[in-house]
Amino acid sequence: MLAIETEQLVKTFDNVHVLRGLDLAVPTGQIYGLLGLNGSGKSTLIHLLLGFLRPNRGNVRVLGEHNPERIRGRVGYLPERLRYHMRYTAREYLHYLGRFSDLREPHLSDRVNAELRAVDLLEDADRMLNTYSKGMLQRLGIAQALLHEPELLLIDEPTSGLDPAGQREVFQLLSDLRGQGHTIFLTTHMLDEVEQLCDRVGILFRGKLAGELDSWQLRTTGHNVQIIVASMTPELMLRLQRLDPAVRCQGYEIRIDPNTPELQAAVLRLLLEANVSVISLKPASRNLENFFRRIVSGEPTPTPESPPAEPTPTPESPPAEAEPAPAADVAPGRPSTGETLLRELLSSEQARWRRPDQDQE
Amino acid sequence: MSTLRRTTSFITFTLIEYVRSGRALLEMLATPVFFYLFLWRGVAQLDYFFTTVGLFTLALTFSVTSALFRLGDRPQSYLVLVRRISRSSYLLGLYLASLFVVLVYYVLICIAALLLQRVAGLDLRNWLLGSAPLLLNAALFGALLMLLSPIVLPSGWRLTILALGAIALSGNLISGPMVEQLGSFNMVLDVLRTIFSTPLVPAFTGFAMAISRDYGQFGYLILIAQAALTIVLLALAVYAFSRNDLIFNSN
Repeated sequence: MLAIETEQLVKTFDNVHVLRGLDLAVPTGQIYGLLGLNGSGKSTLIHLLLGFLRPNRGNVRVLGEHNPERIRGRVGYLPERLRYHMRYTAREYLHYLGRFSDLREPHLSDRVNAELRAVDLLEDADRMLNTYSKGMLQRLGIAQALLHEPELLLIDEPTSGLDPAGQREVFQLLSDLRGQGHTIFLTTHMLDEVEQLCDRVGILFRGKLAGELDSWQLRTTGHNVQIIVASMTPELMLRLQRLDPAVRCQGYEIRIDPNTPELQAAVLRLLLEANVSVISLKPASRNLENFFRRIVSGEPTPTPESPPAEPTPTPESPPAEAEPAPAADVAPGRPSTGETLLRELLSSEQARWRRPDQDQE
Repeated sequence: MSTLRRTTSFITFTLIEYVRSGRALLEMLATPVFFYLFLWRGVAQLDYFFTTVGLFTLALTFSVTSALFRLGDRPQSYLVLVRRISRSSYLLGLYLASLFVVLVYYVLICIAALLLQRVAGLDLRNWLLGSAPLLLNAALFGALLMLLSPIVLPSGWRLTILALGAIALSGNLISGPMVEQLGSFNMVLDVLRTIFSTPLVPAFTGFAMAISRDYGQFGYLILIAQAALTIVLLALAVYAFSRNDLIFNSN
């Protein structure tokens, strides 16, 4: 079933076309991220989905309903700007919003406390909202959106206007929602947010859906790989660079360009032998960033036709031969080679840690 | 039943916001000032009492309704409307909240006048006969203000309604030599004036009835006409609001 469906959606304000025939389909249970430049119509789309705006042409169906009045109470909404009724305490505010959603005592109080606890505002629940920081307000925003346990959550630019600490807090809360099976529709212009949170990403450009990517496409290894390590000795640096001219070291960063699975494995083995902790291993050029840039600059983008046979390899059935993704950033490929090798590394480390115990046995 | 409960919650929510915003101070101060200026100095007759209180109630209705609809015209309201509060409940909630405030101040003034014995002959019968058309006028005026609020009608429609109101009231402004200069256009204006001033008849007659408390043979029909006109304006406002794009004032 589709949580959101739009067909040829057109919205115009004073003869300015904001949406020009948008076709969008978001299945239930998915976290869908809609990327777009500022002013591309992301908030307009959310307001159309919520029934605040009426389309000039086209159809909108949310949770299978054409009539927005029928989805009232089934949808949670986190607005872009931190605009709440500031002359209430958080507890009072959530109580009223709960009553508007038909929640009744004692369930209402339970839900309010549960949500305040979930966003870590229980201790500040009786403070007026006008004394809250932006980060706290955005956490309250998440609490109010989830208060009535909606089937669908519409989130508009969740980290907009927040300082890095506030962004981290909100990001963490949204990451926690991932595991709870909510259908989430998220709009943003922050690539990191969608890359890490979303199952599928669409790009809104010039009023239309200019392209879509699935999470497996987002996470395929790029042509280059960047490895960040916790420590690096000059000897190790030399040994790494002797492996291949493609391996370059600088400070705590190792870059393999171009990357091959063999070379990547060799580098990781050297690091393992030298007892060096790997902090991160990631594609040096990001698929989504390139995809987005291509769309915005009007370059042609290859469209993947089907997902890989094994989008998420399990330890029981690892891919036999891991190959790096082709140069085309969005072409379907095998799941992250880096991930596979990391898993090898981890299992080898686990084996190393397990050995003394086994010896004792 | 759920709709009623949600709307009542929303009215309470709006009233708390109104009081905590500090905007309520204006009316809180204006009411005792009005009482001191117009009713404190001596014992007033009933005609005088209902005339002054009637006009003050209309001013109060204007002030409170404008304030509450300004509070309702903010992006915060999206979080209310995304819930089970329908657009009509939202709009009527704002309207009923403003009417409630007006009613409270009206009752307070009347209680003060009664306790301090500032009005001669103010008994329950006279109070009811004078108050009913005055309060219906306040409700009617509030409904008109709601219809003219920016969240309900776009500026083009609001200007049109104000222009029609100006035509309806133009009889007092256009007279003497000006009428002769208008020539045949004056006939057209007369017809338009008659048409557009008809809805104002219940309001003006109601005000006159409140002062005189003389309902005559058809006085109760005026009360019904006031109520009916209020309902028509409310229905128009709810209809317009339900079809609008909701774009709240973000300033």
